[in-house]
Amino acid sequence: MNLAQVEKSTWVYVAISFLLFVVPFIATGRSVQFLIIQIFVFGIFAMSYDLLLGYTGIISFGHVMFFGVGAYSTAVLFDRFDPTMLTFALAIIISGVIAGIVSLIVGVLTLRLKSHFYAMLTLALAGLFLVGAEKWRKLTGGSDGFTFGLPDILRDSFALYIVSALSLVLIFFGLRRMTKSPFGKVLVAIRENESRTESLGYQVLHYKVIVSVVSGIVASYSGVLYILSLRFVDTSVFATDLTIDVLLMTIIGGVGTLIGPIIGASLIEFAHHWLSDLSDVHWIFERWIILYGTIFILIVVFFPKGIVGTLVDRFYKWRARRT
Amino acid sequence: MDVLFSLAINGLATGMLIFLLAAGLTLIFGLMDVLNFAHGGLFIWGAYTGVWTYQMTGSFLGGIVTAIGVGLLLGLVTERFIVRPVYGSHVQQILITLGFMLVLQECIKVVFGPDQKIVSPPSYLEGSFIIGEIVFINYRLFIIAVGFLIYFAFYYLFKKTRVGLIVRAGVMNKEMIQSLGVNIKLVFLLVFMVGAALAALSGMLHAAYSGVIYAEMGLEFSILAFIVVVIGGMGNFKGSLLAAILVGLTQAFMAYYVPALSLATNMLLMAIVLVFRPQGLFALR
Repeated sequence: MNLAQVEKSTWVYVAISFLLFVVPFIATGRSVQFLIIQIFVFGIFAMSYDLLLGYTGIISFGHVMFFGVGAYSTAVLFDRFDPTMLTFALAIIISGVIAGIVSLIVGVLTLRLKSHFYAMLTLALAGLFLVGAEKWRKLTGGSDGFTFGLPDILRDSFALYIVSALSLVLIFFGLRRMTKSPFGKVLVAIRENESRTESLGYQVLHYKVIVSVVSGIVASYSGVLYILSLRFVDTSVFATDLTIDVLLMTIIGGVGTLIGPIIGASLIEFAHHWLSDLSDVHWIFERWIILYGTIFILIVVFFPKGIVGTLVDRFYKWRARRT
Repeated sequence: MDVLFSLAINGLATGMLIFLLAAGLTLIFGLMDVLNFAHGGLFIWGAYTGVWTYQMTGSFLGGIVTAIGVGLLLGLVTERFIVRPVYGSHVQQILITLGFMLVLQECIKVVFGPDQKIVSPPSYLEGSFIIGEIVFINYRLFIIAVGFLIYFAFYYLFKKTRVGLIVRAGVMNKEMIQSLGVNIKLVFLLVFMVGAALAALSGMLHAAYSGVIYAEMGLEFSILAFIVVVIGGMGNFKGSLLAAILVGLTQAFMAYYVPALSLATNMLLMAIVLVFRPQGLFALR
């Protein structure tokens, strides 16, 4: 590969990625590292969501089902088998396979439907998963949940930080490669005008199914990491609240970009932790959803591209004016 | 036999409440092709403000009137500031109304506190009577009566009045009705407000029916309303009545006979309908 052909933005992302690995040496506190791990986890989750919402223009209200599948398969494996790194590898593979199969079935059955029907159906399916997790007590422990042991290496928050940072970086570059490929261009074409893409000869349904499978597998991987950081699982990993969180992250950060969801995830996670802490000062801070909901509405109306998209647009306009 | 009968009455009452909630939603979709996920927000605002008035003044009727008033007002605000900027784009409508739903739900917690509230029906609607072996609970019969009353009132409105004619024509072809000189936007605003008021009324009636209200009901009932609208067929008024009764009855019977599955009933129903008959069970087209 000729280095001169690499885009400038890629170098910026590579530099930021290296910085991520320096951070844990500066921020050594457990709680800070935990917060950053959460940001990575939800960054990955939000990126997978943006593949559907931002790139392909599909609204799913049930994305949390893949997250939950990843979380539960990891937890159950660690609970049933010895907590070794082998189990961890097994968990990643098995959760990926299950999520892949589930998203394939869901996709084939439902992606033919119009946007609002698809949104409702995925919501219903995620609801079924939640009920299933509550009722299948033998496996899931019901709403009480259960704790499980981890391999010694992963107990250390530093190691977990490295694992999640590495995952975030790899997935980011992988998805970036995918969205910049011809395949990614077809996805954007579907978002912009589905019937025209179809009449150009593309099998729209195939593309949609493939992207939803990829997105489902990535989402389940974020569920795996999430549950490793918590070391405890209960039915909240299937809760609709998580889908709404990830929706807020993606929209606020910026749809149709990969860095946007990560920024959105940081903002929402900070809000979760810090604004909730501030509730001792004034109770209104506990209701931070109002603030974010309002921002969300304003962004949908006035800046449909989110923070990152709007900034990028401004940047291009500014550069065009200079030349 | 008596069990079957009381389950049926129970289901019918639930169905009527759901119908009041879903009726507005289905009209809004049929007329203006707008998906309103904030509908459950209007429902809880009706419930909370209605109950507040009811508990302050002791007048149940006052509570109902307050709920309807608040519903009309919120409908006006929602249509004007939330829905109007995003006509024509389903994706944006879903997103923005969901955001507004969250705001409405959190505002409830700010104004009325985050804890759940206990409500009981007024004394003149409490109690029950027995015919044969069947127990009739007064408040449930009251809800069923209100539901049918409103259904027939709207049925009359649609079939016999000029406003109803315009609304029906608008559902069929809104460009045509516009070119005939009708201000369809105004009609839509009115329909939206009436739909919101019905949702608020449903919230108030539901509050005394279930005995407890909490802010998270907003999202739950948004989803429930959508389930009913999807089953009945989007934009189909009669369909939403039948679907609401179907959902209510299924809920009641499943809760009694297969309690393990009762939580999943609605979702299953909708999933089946969407996969095999996405236009809705009672759709004409």
